Amino acid sequence: MDIVIDNLPFLLKGAYYTLLITVVSMFFGLIIGLITAIARIKGNRFFRGIAKIYVSIIRGTPPLVQIVIVYYGLVDYGVELDALTAAYIALSINIGAYVSEAFRGAIQSVPSGQTEAALATGMTEAQAMRRIVIPQAIRYAIPPLGNTFVGMLKETSLVSVIAVTELMRSAQLLVAQYYVYMPFYLAIGLMYWIMSTVFTFILNKIEKRLSVY
Amino acid sequence: MLQIKDLSKSFDQNEVLKHISLTIPAHQVVAVIGPSGSGKSTFLRCLNGLETISGGSVTVNNHLLQATDSKKVRQKTIHAIRQDTGMVFQQFNLYPHKTVIENVMEALVVVKKQSKEQAKKMASALLKRVGLQEKEDAYPSRLSGGQQQRVAIARALAMEPKIMLFDEPTSALDPELVGEVLQVMKELAEEGMTMVIVTHEMKFARDVADRILFMADGQIVEDAEPKVFFTHPSTERAQKFLEKVNEF
Ligand SMILES: Nc1ncnc2c1ncn2[C@@H]1O[C@H](COP(=O)(O)OP(=O)(O)O)[C@@H](O)[C@H]1O
Ligand SMILES: [Mg+2]
Repeated sequence: MDIVIDNLPFLLKGAYYTLLITVVSMFFGLIIGLITAIARIKGNRFFRGIAKIYVSIIRGTPPLVQIVIVYYGLVDYGVELDALTAAYIALSINIGAYVSEAFRGAIQSVPSGQTEAALATGMTEAQAMRRIVIPQAIRYAIPPLGNTFVGMLKETSLVSVIAVTELMRSAQLLVAQYYVYMPFYLAIGLMYWIMSTVFTFILNKIEKRLSVY
Repeated sequence: MLQIKDLSKSFDQNEVLKHISLTIPAHQVVAVIGPSGSGKSTFLRCLNGLETISGGSVTVNNHLLQATDSKKVRQKTIHAIRQDTGMVFQQFNLYPHKTVIENVMEALVVVKKQSKEQAKKMASALLKRVGLQEKEDAYPSRLSGGQQQRVAIARALAMEPKIMLFDEPTSALDPELVGEVLQVMKELAEEGMTMVIVTHEMKFARDVADRILFMADGQIVEDAEPKVFFTHPSTERAQKFLEKVNEF
């Protein structure tokens, strides 16, 4: 126990990176996901195809493989990313696919009468999408996005393999130093759990806030 | 005001509208009645481009929409047509995430690029006209069906349309709420609005409409003044339909 407390600052720094990676990847993932969802619903055949293939590849391959491709694989083509950047890129692309599925489902749950009403008042398709459909879809999307978000928080542990010192790797380094496993792994387990719970709590609050109508 | 020539509409192999031709002059109030599935909604939706027409043409206030036009031309025409038409739906289709006044303001701000204050002023006046000025800041879910439909009418009127299209505006309402919506529509008719109303309210059609179109199987089988239509329907289909309606 003492050994954990002594090393708490180190673990907290790891937790900070875990959070940072989660938030940054989620942010870019949201943008990628929204664009992909719109491409899949409103795009012409070409963009629909690209979006579909992207989602299929990401969902059909292990995130670990995606991470090593970005970090190690790209080196073969002269692209040398530092580990943290590679983590951001790999995870943003990964999460974008899942976010797009959440958005797509949410956009499709907005009744078609909403779009029709907007079009009938003279709005363009794009205006109807932006002003009427997406604001409603966001609310439908919050629960699945919340799951994705918490999933991402846990998935960040994978970037420990490319030597990003987030929470998982912080524990591994301590284990290597002290030759004891359980206290450190239990400690980070607890920290992951606390972060997940806090996220879930915040998301529930947001969902409540959005359901004023 | 509205000219329809040889209008056809098919969904896949299913021909839903069959070579409809008709002219509606300005200020006329037209009630479209007929059995369900006869193509009334599809007909109405072809007039403002919510359905793509398969054949013929529709002219709304000098904007000519032809089935043979390229997609680009059609899009442009439809956009112009929608500026001149307002539509009211059976299910109201108010924007649930916006307040009543925001519902009415929305197109003014987004389409007409009015300032918020300008739009607000106009929306306020319209809500007053449909008797809902005290509900301005409520969300639609807090309103009764009749109130929601009146907001929807105000929303459509905000664009200052030349023609109003109504698709069974009272069919989703509890009976006691029908009257308030019909009243608003009646006032609109008296002010000279050109209106095409799909409805099952026979009394309203008889009292308010200038003209009845009776649709069956994708065709307009009768086109007559209400007095004539309701007392001496000339086709058997219409006679049967009216007998059935009168049973209720
Ligand atoms: N989007 C659609 N796709 C396929 N068939 C449709 C569609 N909309 C309407 N129809 C068909 O067209 C016919 C006429 O429908 P509609 O215009 O809604 O009739 P009404 O409004 O008179 O009840 C019906 O047989 C219906 O099944
Ligand atoms: Mg109908």
